[in-house]
Amino acid sequence: MDFEPKILGIACNWCTYTGADLAGTTRLQYPQNLRVVRVMCSSRINPSFIFRAFQLGADGVLVGGCHPGDCHYNTGNLYARRRLAVTRKILEFAGIEPGRFRVEWISASEGNKFAEVVTEFTEQVRNLGPQTKFKIEQLPTPEKI
Amino acid sequence: MSINFKQIEEKLKSEATKLLEEGKVGVVLAYGKGYDENHPLPFVARKASDVENIVFNEYCTANMARYIVRYPRGTKIAIAVKAADSRAVIQLIQEDKVKREDLVILGIPAYGMKNAKTGEVVDSKTTCGMYNPVIYDTLLGEEVHGQSVVSPYDVLAEYEAMDKEARWAFWKKELDKCIRCYACRKACPMCYCDPCFIDQNKPKWGEKSPESHGNLMYHLTRFHHLAGRCIDCGECSRACPVDIPLYLFHKKVAKDCEEMFGQAAGMSIEDKPALVNFRVEDSDKILE
Ligand code: FES
Repeated sequence: MDFEPKILGIACNWCTYTGADLAGTTRLQYPQNLRVVRVMCSSRINPSFIFRAFQLGADGVLVGGCHPGDCHYNTGNLYARRRLAVTRKILEFAGIEPGRFRVEWISASEGNKFAEVVTEFTEQVRNLGPQTKFKIEQLPTPEKI
Repeated sequence: MSINFKQIEEKLKSEATKLLEEGKVGVVLAYGKGYDENHPLPFVARKASDVENIVFNEYCTANMARYIVRYPRGTKIAIAVKAADSRAVIQLIQEDKVKREDLVILGIPAYGMKNAKTGEVVDSKTTCGMYNPVIYDTLLGEEVHGQSVVSPYDVLAEYEAMDKEARWAFWKKELDKCIRCYACRKACPMCYCDPCFIDQNKPKWGEKSPESHGNLMYHLTRFHHLAGRCIDCGECSRACPVDIPLYLFHKKVAKDCEEMFGQAAGMSIEDKPALVNFRVEDSDKILE
């Protein structure tokens, strides 16, 4: 059976999420492997979310935010950029393929970029295969998380 | 040339007595007698008569900056620091945990410190490999010069060259040893959160029992929290009862931060910690 990756998308409310909306309203096709979580800003993302996502079975994590300088809160994504760069290095040194984690700046009007990025990233993760290193074998029941 | 530990001890004692008698400081953070020569303990002198218990020898590796945050703001503190410890002090000042005015920093230039557990010399392999304190009010002893300077990041080459699978196997093996005693957290001068993220129940960030994924979550997040702040004193690894080489990961993160943001932790009071700062000209390259 073909491997269908599970991908967690964390999107900022003002740009990437709206961009995803636009992709939807313009009826662009993109793979359904992405589960999007909306946050108010990319700097809202605690790096532990990403580690935890990998532990709870995500095969890839895609983070979307406004273009640098365009953040709704002015500087949020500039902090996030530094922070997520470190997260990436940590994942890499721990032995996770760096291709499983990606940060993209997608603005509210870039519906087609959103669709493109998701398609490309899904393909990339599909090629990397299932993520087993961090994954918890026996998942705790939802109430226990 | 070698370090005259007895002389430093004498100077430390006389400075401490002076400061306490004049009432300049409320506490002096230094090292005291342990159950034997090789195991000196962190020691707090509160009055002049405590000073006689102060010792300083090559086994005094603990980082006393750890104890600064335990005192209420405004307490006048004198602290004995070695090179890495002084960077920790600077980092704490940067993070506004303590004010420069409230500190009297007694710098100790030293090398050839020894790890009490293994007896090995503590050098750039496990620490930042510096000899002279970066910041001090009084220097006890003479500045060290002419010692070979080795990059603290040299030890990383071997691990960076490993392929991903081997590195994952290495870290899995090491982190699985963790018994979650949290000695690393207790020894670390930068770990002052109360409560620590791993002790929180809502949300529960990771499993609290000592098994692989809880350990992984705890350590990875701790490495992340110390990114751009770890001053590479190596105390976490010396405190570890099961000898996990935590310093390796910390060094790696510190190295990456230095490369990406152009600033090492705890080198100047004026800096801001790298991750609570940004430059507009930071490039997206760092995300690739
Ligand atoms: S609001 Fe979009 S990144 Fe801050």
